[in-house]
Amino acid sequence: MTDEAHHAPHPTTGQYVKIAIVLAVVTAVEVALFYIDEAVDMAGWDGPLLIILSFFKFVVVIGWFMHLRFEKPLLSRFFAGGFILALSLYGIVVGSFLVGLITR
Amino acid sequence: MADVIEAAETHAEDHGGHGEHESFGIDNRKLGMWLFLSSEFLFFGALITNYMVYGNDTFGATVVPREIYDIPFTSVSSFVLLMSSLTMVLAHHSLATGDQNGTRTWLLATALLGSIFLGGQVFEFYEFINVYGMTLTTNPASSAFFMLTGFHGVHVAIGVIMLMSLFGMSRRQGGLSEGHGMNLELVGLYWHFVDIIWIVIFTIVYLLGAV
Repeated sequence: MTDEAHHAPHPTTGQYVKIAIVLAVVTAVEVALFYIDEAVDMAGWDGPLLIILSFFKFVVVIGWFMHLRFEKPLLSRFFAGGFILALSLYGIVVGSFLVGLITR
Repeated sequence: MADVIEAAETHAEDHGGHGEHESFGIDNRKLGMWLFLSSEFLFFGALITNYMVYGNDTFGATVVPREIYDIPFTSVSSFVLLMSSLTMVLAHHSLATGDQNGTRTWLLATALLGSIFLGGQVFEFYEFINVYGMTLTTNPASSAFFMLTGFHGVHVAIGVIMLMSLFGMSRRQGGLSEGHGMNLELVGLYWHFVDIIWIVIFTIVYLLGAV
């Protein structure tokens, strides 16, 4: 994040409403994808698409609603640190189960 | 002791005069909240991983959580929680512009939307337990489901209590002061975090099912 971004003005009420509408539309698309996959088998494409859409919502809420986009970069680093640590740790755990390294 | 305090004040002034409540140019309370939220990823990560691993493990029981989800109902709940993030940010925005009435209205709206979400979760749990006979101890899948969504619900409930506390404080004092503004920001960060965790839960647990 640059200093320019840090000093950028926060969104207005109208912009917040527009962001919320985008989030609502993405949620509707997610639910539609779920039903499309039930009606017509998407051959596994629904999973990656749903994860991408979910990640998009995740980033928008953190960046705009939590104002992380407008905060000092240090906060982004702390937050991303926890997220990446959790993702790595649990990714290894799930991966270990999938390849059978851990048996139940 | 006085020497220590004086040294601390001098040190703070030497670093831009931010006072003893700031580290790295960021308010310590805000820094603490971001660190806490960062650590919450590990907490919820464990519960989500647990569900991903055991979500299909019926252990001989016939009922599986993902086969009894009511997707339209949960979609509406998700929408409600998503919109509560909008009302929360509007409460923060109203306070920043000095609109105390607006702040109170949006705080109340956020607490109301959070309560509706919680009501939906209670209804869902009631249905699962009484209609489908799926309880916390039915099988590993049900345990993983109730632990994950239950702990998220507890977080939402704590958020609603904090929102109502801020609302009550604002009514009693005729508005929130600049100092309370930071409290509202911290509650807002917590609330949005609860929302992003639900975004992940909704996709992984409800829409994708288990691994």
